[in-house]
Amino acid sequence: MAPSAHGPADRDAAVLTLTDVRIHNDAADTELVHGVSLRLVRGGVVGIVGESGSGKSLTCKAVLGVLPQHVEVSGGSIELLGRDVAGLSRQEWTALRGNSISAVFQDPASYLNPSIRVGKQVQEVLRIKQGLSRAAAKQRAIELLDAVHLRDPDYVYEQYVHELSGGMLQRVLIAIAISLEPEVLIADEATTALDTTVQAGILDLLVELKDRIGLSLVVVSHDLAVVAQLCDEVLVMRDGHVVEQGATSEILHAPQHEYTRLLVAEHEQYGLSGSATGPHPPVPVSVPASVPVPASVPVSVSVPEPRSSTVPESAEPVLRVDGLGVHFGRGRGRKQALEDASLVIRPGETVGVIGESGAGKSTLARAVLGLVRVSAGSVHVAGRDITHLSGRDRRAFGRDGVVQYVFQDPLRSLDPEHTVATSVAEPLRIRGGLDRAAIDDAVRRQFRAVRLDESLLDRFPGELSGGQRQRVAIARALISSPRLLILDEPVSALDSANRVAILELLRELRSTIDVAMLFISHDLGSVAGISDRTIVLYRSRIVEAGDTSRIVTAPAHPYTRLLVGSAPTLSSGPTDRVQRERLRAGLFVS
Amino acid sequence: MIRTLLRLTSARVALALLAIIALVTVLGPVLAPYDPLKGSGRTLAGPSGKHWLGTDYIGRDVLSRILAGAPLSIVSTLEVAGIALVLGTIPGILSVYLGSAFEWLSLRVVDTFIALPFLVFAVAMTALLGNGITQAMIVVGMLIAPVFYRVSRAATMSVARSQYVEAASIAGASTAWIVRSHVWSKVLPSVAVTLAQTLGIGLVVISSLTFLGIGIQPPTPTWGGILASDLGYLAQKPYAPVFPTLLILAAVLACNLLADAIRDAAGETGRALTGAKTARTNRARRLAAPADPAQP
Amino acid sequence: MSAPPPALTAPPSARRGVVAHRIGRAVASTARLLAIFVPVFLLGTFLTYLLGHLSGRSPAYLQLGDAASPQAVAAIEHKWGLDRPFLVQYGDWLGSVLHGDLGTSWYNGLSVAHALGQRAAITLSAAGVALVLGIVFGFLFGALAAHFHTRWPDRAITTFTTAISVLPPFIVGIGLAAVFAVGLQILPAAGYVPIQAGLGPWLSHLILPAIALSFDTAADVARQLRNGLVSAYRGNYVTGAIVRGLGPRRIFFVHVLRNGIAPALAVLGLKFPNLLGGAVIIEAIFGLSGYGVYASQAAVRGDVPAVQGVLVVSVILVVVFNLLVNIVLNRVTPDADRGV
Repeated sequence: MAPSAHGPADRDAAVLTLTDVRIHNDAADTELVHGVSLRLVRGGVVGIVGESGSGKSLTCKAVLGVLPQHVEVSGGSIELLGRDVAGLSRQEWTALRGNSISAVFQDPASYLNPSIRVGKQVQEVLRIKQGLSRAAAKQRAIELLDAVHLRDPDYVYEQYVHELSGGMLQRVLIAIAISLEPEVLIADEATTALDTTVQAGILDLLVELKDRIGLSLVVVSHDLAVVAQLCDEVLVMRDGHVVEQGATSEILHAPQHEYTRLLVAEHEQYGLSGSATGPHPPVPVSVPASVPVPASVPVSVSVPEPRSSTVPESAEPVLRVDGLGVHFGRGRGRKQALEDASLVIRPGETVGVIGESGAGKSTLARAVLGLVRVSAGSVHVAGRDITHLSGRDRRAFGRDGVVQYVFQDPLRSLDPEHTVATSVAEPLRIRGGLDRAAIDDAVRRQFRAVRLDESLLDRFPGELSGGQRQRVAIARALISSPRLLILDEPVSALDSANRVAILELLRELRSTIDVAMLFISHDLGSVAGISDRTIVLYRSRIVEAGDTSRIVTAPAHPYTRLLVGSAPTLSSGPTDRVQRERLRAGLFVS
Repeated sequence: MIRTLLRLTSARVALALLAIIALVTVLGPVLAPYDPLKGSGRTLAGPSGKHWLGTDYIGRDVLSRILAGAPLSIVSTLEVAGIALVLGTIPGILSVYLGSAFEWLSLRVVDTFIALPFLVFAVAMTALLGNGITQAMIVVGMLIAPVFYRVSRAATMSVARSQYVEAASIAGASTAWIVRSHVWSKVLPSVAVTLAQTLGIGLVVISSLTFLGIGIQPPTPTWGGILASDLGYLAQKPYAPVFPTLLILAAVLACNLLADAIRDAAGETGRALTGAKTARTNRARRLAAPADPAQP
Repeated sequence: MSAPPPALTAPPSARRGVVAHRIGRAVASTARLLAIFVPVFLLGTFLTYLLGHLSGRSPAYLQLGDAASPQAVAAIEHKWGLDRPFLVQYGDWLGSVLHGDLGTSWYNGLSVAHALGQRAAITLSAAGVALVLGIVFGFLFGALAAHFHTRWPDRAITTFTTAISVLPPFIVGIGLAAVFAVGLQILPAAGYVPIQAGLGPWLSHLILPAIALSFDTAADVARQLRNGLVSAYRGNYVTGAIVRGLGPRRIFFVHVLRNGIAPALAVLGLKFPNLLGGAVIIEAIFGLSGYGVYASQAAVRGDVPAVQGVLVVSVILVVVFNLLVNIVLNRVTPDADRGV
């Protein structure tokens, strides 16, 4: 595939050019990346999309000259600012990195030294590379922390890594990366695993820096929407091959390769798709008077059709939570994890819970299950008050299997030493009263229900793929015929293809068996794609609840608006950025 | 796990060594060609056809003394390890389940025991409490127990906090069920590793005590005691300590090899079902890299 | 909306100011250390005293022999205050220990503190030299092995450290004595010369016991340092520092060493009790009359105050040493919690 050097940016100087770069693992004698070509012009943004293992990160590492041991560039050339990096000596590399090219990565906490105050690490680069004095470097470091919009840079300067949040640390890393004003910045999954609103903030910052100091960006992500939002040109990688490459709009509108089509389809089905498509209803806005009202964020969503078979309002709810409060710790260390939460789930209904990490989503689920101590309010399951059951009654209630739970990471929620059949059978074996054959039969039935091949029955979790494992976990949860299934981030640990498949499975199960679901996620797209109603948690409180379609099209609370406006979509434009800016200001000031 | 273990060369070597030592322990006193306590005129003689390993300073046959000393040295080591295993593992597992008061108290006791200078306390306690082999074994077992406590507690904690245990308790499982079907199999490999190591340590400590004449006094033959008497005649017979030393080292080495083999067979997660091939990969990985990246 | 979300703004403690924050952090870490070490100290001394009590030994039998009359025994026990409740005795004893008074020996009526003071120099010299040897060779081997990670120097050092860590100190001691003192006759086999008599003679008497003691420490420090450095080198912050354009030397000394050294330092804290404990047997081999020999002699005689004195001093030494190690650790890696 030829580098797309035919755009209007052709006359601009290329700052980074990759020509058919191949990467080879000498120890295993296998080629890991089979030819990547790209051309990044000054002020341009190129995106690389792909799953983990697709070779996108290796390509970045090759550009930075930090490939792991035994892995090296075996073909093609990398030209940075007109210099072929292949022949660079160690000293030349050291001089080049930081000054001409820099990078930020996923998991920012791990990229800073945990034993040194973060400010010192900003200052270090300035002192070593620019020869600034201690005082001058400190002053400049604080300016940089301010430039990446960290509030109170003096305070941040003095902190250790474990005292700052992921979003703040990523800003610190960006401050370090731009401190020497390099031409090229590589953002390798820089917003992955951050909350949606925080992710949008970091992406906005990158765009702002690009415009303000003329950075050229290489943005790498598994999320097509993140890349689409920022980039002029996109490379789609899979198993070390570039399967598609071209202008962003072309890739989005006419994806050629099957894998690209999957990525686009995923966003169309389980994401908030573009605002440009179709008219959307006028948005009724009702916001608490204390909050400044920003312009509403226009989006249209593919929300499942409201199901006509909805149970009558009079049916006894499967779950009724009234004024639930949970707190951890005592005295000054007391932390309110959930405050005055109320919700009702009727039989067969799917309710989504959305919020950022630490908002109280999991606490809500765990309080319902009695895994954390409830300090206020009550929980009724199928009409029975289970708020303060004794240990014995709680176990008896658990053996009834009315409520079941599916965890985020199936690998950790299945005992590695039990075959998956043993794991699936466990709730029945704990309950007792069934003979071996009956249990075996039930397990096989569940396997078929979650579309797992029976040949996998005797495998161990480590031998299955992520998607298969999550199916096993769902089978285990369903075997006791629960009336309520609590799913805590069930698709967050999965890659795109499996994520879609599991969501499809849940949709299907909802229509075939009579089970209500409480679907918890930080990802608005998955919640919107599956739930009838949605609850928004923000800072331990339910700030908004209602029909999913209403929540996504006409969010009322400022946080919900920010969330809806932050969700990466395939067609977010610069206007969204401005709106987000105003929403953030509104949230923080009031 | 045991079948896997038997396919590892290091485990086979270790088990062969231990089998020889066990044989010496059981048959030693019977095989001894002379009375280990009866001296003769031939003092400090070199190895000969009559006395394979020579004689000591009062003319006793060294081979007979070493063989006769085997049961006391080995059996007391086994008992020390057994006492430590019981005193450490049970509170270690219970500390996770018995509530915070027991947890705090047991942790402080363990901290204290680990901070004590081991041998000084072993010597002082044994001597003060009556200076017999029983006292020595109880004291040493008690002082080693914290190792088992820490290992079993850590293993139990990592399982107890795991999501599959949480899933079981959501399904209404009792603590007994959880320990039986989830916890036990994960604690076992690390306890087995510790047991193998403890056997080595126990032998060294018991030998050290008997070397000092604590626990068992001369003339009763023990490997440590034989070393102590050899020390006085280094100038005349400098190679004398070699024989008991070799036996102690062989036993310690076998225990360590066995511990490593169990660790490899159990794998990184303490999973008991690793195949022999995986175990060999584990070994290669362990030798090439840090054993545990647990340090935060 | 009373407060901003935590992800994007500074926590409210920012208002207290940076200095107050630093002081708060120092106080918190000190309090955490004390919460660990005070119970250890109290429990250690309590066990020590309980041991003497449980032994059922009495100064009366030591002085009067087994045939003493009950009245005479009672009189002597009253004189020593042994007829009081156990906890009162413990409190009294602990109080005087904290004032530096370790009581008087039942055996010869001399001050235990004085007797230990004379012997401590010998033991601490041996343990101190061993500690220095352990640190120097441990760090040297550990750093070399990490530098040549997976290549032959690493394998050689790893094999060597594994081998010497298995060797019990008394066997090493006997071996060293047999080879260097008896065989080659280049070093004295026994005895002690105070440092006032000259550094050379002092060291020549100490070096063999110190080497025998140091093996275990050197081996463990080397292994921990190697593993610590190797895993620190794998840390993403090293990649981060490379990408920022920092040179290899700065990355090693500022980023890798600082994070990789913690396990080695922690193991040093754990090894110190072993050094003191090993002294008992090493002193017996090399004929040094240090506190280890004193302890075993006193214990065999049933001289309870003398034994308690040795034990309490060793507990104090261990607690103080570990406190120092932990303070250093807290400074080097401020992010980790740890115990004794």
